[in-house]
Amino acid sequence: MTRLGRSVLVGTTFAVAFGVLTPAVTAGELEDIITQAREATYNATRVTKSVWGDQIEVTDQLVEHWSGGELVRTNLSWTVSGNGRLVSMGEVPSGLVFLTAKTTPEIQRYEVGDVTTVKHMHRSALRVEVMEGDLKRATLIVDERSGAVLLSETFNGQGRVFRTVSLSEFKPYRMYPEPEEMSSVPVQVIMHSNSDLLPNELAGYQIVDVFPGPGGSEQGFYSDGLFGFSVFAISKRTTIEGFADSMALVTDDGLYEMVPTAQDVRIRWADKDRNYVLVGDIPPDHLEEILTVLPAPGRDSMLKIWWRKLFG
Amino acid sequence: MARMNTEQARLSILLSCYLDGVLTDEELNEVVHVLDTDLEAIAEFHKLKEARRAVRLMPMLEVPSHLLPRTHLDEELSAFLDGELSTQETPVVSAHLESCGECRMVLADLDRSRIAIRALPGVESPVFLDLHRETTTVARRRIPAIVALATGVAAVVIAFTVGPFAAGGEQPTISIADLNARHAAVASVPAAVQISNTAP
Repeated sequence: MTRLGRSVLVGTTFAVAFGVLTPAVTAGELEDIITQAREATYNATRVTKSVWGDQIEVTDQLVEHWSGGELVRTNLSWTVSGNGRLVSMGEVPSGLVFLTAKTTPEIQRYEVGDVTTVKHMHRSALRVEVMEGDLKRATLIVDERSGAVLLSETFNGQGRVFRTVSLSEFKPYRMYPEPEEMSSVPVQVIMHSNSDLLPNELAGYQIVDVFPGPGGSEQGFYSDGLFGFSVFAISKRTTIEGFADSMALVTDDGLYEMVPTAQDVRIRWADKDRNYVLVGDIPPDHLEEILTVLPAPGRDSMLKIWWRKLFG
Repeated sequence: MARMNTEQARLSILLSCYLDGVLTDEELNEVVHVLDTDLEAIAEFHKLKEARRAVRLMPMLEVPSHLLPRTHLDEELSAFLDGELSTQETPVVSAHLESCGECRMVLADLDRSRIAIRALPGVESPVFLDLHRETTTVARRRIPAIVALATGVAAVVIAFTVGPFAAGGEQPTISIADLNARHAAVASVPAAVQISNTAP
């Protein structure tokens, strides 16, 4: 059994035997699992399926993963990402490098639940349940030898699976080096900055860092250690393309334009002062809570909300 | 004995190259076979991975300024922001920026002034400037940072004065694909795992 397997099973056995935490153990073990998965080396086909209401989105990608990076190939293009860098070679080659000294916050709201040993694709694996209080938020099938997450299921607030990410044709080694053309792709370097506009905490998600965005906008990246999203606060006079085929998301606060994909969700709305775009891989119930805290469509600006909080 | 040491040394090199992703197909098959069958090789592989991880996590020490070949960056900062540095120059400038707070501040100021300029209402440039556009692009890389900053400030002042009177500049446009790429890049610090798969 690998170090990952031993640490999770020993931790679980200890906790259950001594009644330290029942049934969940600690968030630290979940961080270990995520760290090992991040550092895993493998080549596979990754299929991602998400259910948004009655709409199902599916995508498959050829993925090469290594410590600190990932190469994703689709029919027409490839993308290399990792450590704040993203280089794409598609119709328009482009590169972004975000300079930040900050990392994802510690996991606080999730704990490891039941852990069992299973066989998955003829490989020894651990089946790990991730709990958010009493709610099962995710199930992970973790390869014992490489630490890669072979299968993950994420659940919505009603306990139904809303996203499945599975690896097939899994090989625990690399097949391709990074593309040589990478060095010829122009890269835009973006330094982190500060914001008086974006709050430090949004419905249990902590702000990791703020960056200047295109057209004078601001990008705030939020994470709870497991899921993450970005909020872009954009000038009212800027046109935002890509929502032509959006669906309407109606909440008590108003009307939002939503484009759900297999991997993430994109939301657009505007209040009196600004346009907002949210992009992230968050569960639907988290999304609903986050939108409740952010300025509602057509209502007061975030600045006014904070002003009122501070000065009444 | 000597032969065994040679084989072990070769295996270490192969494992190291494997982690770097620079093996040939034949060598890759050899490593995969060894990692499937040889427990000692697996232990060696894990030791190597741990060592690399430890090195990555080591704190970065400030380089004493008298050891640095030159004090501060100047025109390279403009080229760095424009992505115009060569493959050889980029790591040198990045390494200097990691150790030099002053240059980071100059870079941030430079970047902020550019963003401010980009956010201003568009003003059509006179036709005669188009003739020189290509020449200017080539020459831009060698403009010192301080001159670029001064130019930026001047441009802001001019644009604020002239902008309101300019005949309806084009509205800036942002695509969701660009925003998604920005989110994916930031989310890869540290790199995304499968559960939060953000690659576009």
